[in-house]
Amino acid sequence: MKTKDDFPSLNERKPEGMKPDGTPWRVLIVDDSMFVAKQITQILTSEGYQVVHTAADGLEGYEKYKELYPNIDLVTMDITMPRMDGLSALQKIIEFDKNAKVIMISALGKQDLVKQALVAGAKNYIVKPLDRKKVLERLQSVLGK
Amino acid sequence: MRVEYINPFVESAFNVLKEVLQGDIKRGELYLKSTSMPVMGVAALVGLAGDVEGRVLFDMEKASALKIASAMNGEQLTAMDELVKATITELANMITAQAVTKLHELGFRFDLTPPAIFTGDNMEVSDQDVEALIVPMETPQGKIEINVAIRERG
Repeated sequence: MKTKDDFPSLNERKPEGMKPDGTPWRVLIVDDSMFVAKQITQILTSEGYQVVHTAADGLEGYEKYKELYPNIDLVTMDITMPRMDGLSALQKIIEFDKNAKVIMISALGKQDLVKQALVAGAKNYIVKPLDRKKVLERLQSVLGK
Repeated sequence: MRVEYINPFVESAFNVLKEVLQGDIKRGELYLKSTSMPVMGVAALVGLAGDVEGRVLFDMEKASALKIASAMNGEQLTAMDELVKATITELANMITAQAVTKLHELGFRFDLTPPAIFTGDNMEVSDQDVEALIVPMETPQGKIEINVAIRERG
């Protein structure tokens, strides 16, 4: 009978979504577009990240962050959203947890808002359209720090 | 309407469609309409207000909308559900955002409304006192017409 050891391992690479201790990084997605939220979820879960919650606006995102804290590693934050925009939600999250890791998700043409977000404490940003490589790179650069 | 308003939309539609659909995109001949005109079945509308004012319509057949949303989601979508609408909205968002960046660089200042999606049969759009320029874009998933009616604020 063959055991697992008899097979060569074709994929030694550890999924990027795993912490050094083997548990997944926990991500909160804040986005009012069902399409974008789904796209980010697919990219992240395919690399082993755990999407703990998807919030549909900034206020829900902020409240969820407080509720999940400290069991949350990263937030992806859309900018234009109803009820509370991404910049305000970011400011509230940073006020609550100055070490929060928030990545802004922006359409092109929002450079001023992205700059304000970086000044306010966002760790990085991603410009849409999103692709797998771009999203994973930015997350890694933030989580690697 | 000045043609320089539509070029950024055409360029940006070309770039965004090419990137999200990963296929060959062809630009058709631009044409002008000044009266009311039919809308194909699914239309995403973005309003503009500022130094210039008007609206941009992304118009397509329902079948094309479903194919485009399927391609963008990487799965077969067969009904005009919330996900399809969210996907077409996001497509309109991305194209408009890129075009507006270019128009801002040219010195035009204006704000945008979030896209609204219209679906139905036998729809028409009319614009009072402003002509619409239309550029058809051919994608592997079907045609999208970019219909721009913008004027300078009087």
